Amino acid sequence: MAMALAALRREGRRRILSATVTNPSPVAASAAAVRSSAVPQPELAPLGLRSISTQVVRNRMKSVKNIQKITKAMKMVAASKLRAVQIRTENSRGLWEPFTALLGDAPSVDVKKNVIVSITSDKGLCGGINSTSVKVSRALHKLTSGPEKESKYVILGEKGKVQLVRDSRNSIEMTVTELQKNPINYTQIAVLADDILKNVEYDALRVIFNKFHSVISFKPTMVTILSPEVAEKESEAGGKMGNLDSYEIEGGETKSEILQNLAEFQFSCVLYNGALENACSELGARMSAMDSSSRNAGDMLDRLTLTYNRTRQASITTELIEIISGASALEG
Amino acid sequence: MSATTAAVPFWRAAGMTYIGYSNICAALVRNCLKEPFKSEAASREKVHFSISKWADGKQEKPTVRTDSEE
Repeated sequence: MAMALAALRREGRRRILSATVTNPSPVAASAAAVRSSAVPQPELAPLGLRSISTQVVRNRMKSVKNIQKITKAMKMVAASKLRAVQIRTENSRGLWEPFTALLGDAPSVDVKKNVIVSITSDKGLCGGINSTSVKVSRALHKLTSGPEKESKYVILGEKGKVQLVRDSRNSIEMTVTELQKNPINYTQIAVLADDILKNVEYDALRVIFNKFHSVISFKPTMVTILSPEVAEKESEAGGKMGNLDSYEIEGGETKSEILQNLAEFQFSCVLYNGALENACSELGARMSAMDSSSRNAGDMLDRLTLTYNRTRQASITTELIEIISGASALEG
Repeated sequence: MSATTAAVPFWRAAGMTYIGYSNICAALVRNCLKEPFKSEAASREKVHFSISKWADGKQEKPTVRTDSEE
């Protein structure tokens, strides 16, 4: 009988305290109330010792700590992968630089059939790089589509596909995924470029990707590749393309053949570099995103620890007050 | 040289692009390597991706291009 009364008192005390204590969130508070009233908790403390249930906060602290561990591990993985990819990316820049030196870049060329090749990543949790390239692609689509023109998407990567399906599913011509199962190599990209060239009609291909500058800076970049016919027209119009005539052409090939071969090879090179740059940016972005999320988890953990300790102290203080006042009541 | 002096190169007439042509040439050169280098070069020509065409706003069945485990 006396024990039952004590248990009842304990329940009451617990409920009062858990209402007054500042809990980290209303959900946790209500969970605490539900737990202390409905679920009979196994008694951890010795009989007669009164304490508030700090179980919820403790569980939350544990889960935050686990999340922090995971994000830290992801950051480490991204950092170690980044180094290898970065070297390959920097080496691959040498592939398209000669093309730009030879043919120049014509971002403002106005043609009928535009194909936007936007390179995104397959996996998420890498900051805003996918949205950036999707945004640029959309803006470019708006710019290049008109009454007598059309522009289509070829999307590399799952994330870009998911974002572009929402508003421009009718303009999507082709999607490619699972590109990064093996480390990106030229053969793979060349096969892919071959597939794209065979299946898509184009006057100008515009490849969009995030160019890697440093671990925290990525610039959305567009590279334009002209079809041989357009390139020939451009070269007749003069400019950088016009200088092509000053080169001596070996063998019996005509200029248009040379241009066609060049355009195709240029596309595969640009695509290779673009895929690598984007993979590199993805890893860099993931690294910084995971870094800040583990920092956030640390902050959260600090706050929770503070709440936890405060609650513990409050319960100890209450108990002391009870003991002292009980003792003095006996004396007096 | 003799093949390329024709009006249209033979590979172009067969419906290949320059990329496909150069890829086959590259594979041939890689096959000429000796052993420690050969397997290293082979790791650089792994192809794996899945490609799918879209028609009328719908995705068609993807085809997986891969050369591993088959």
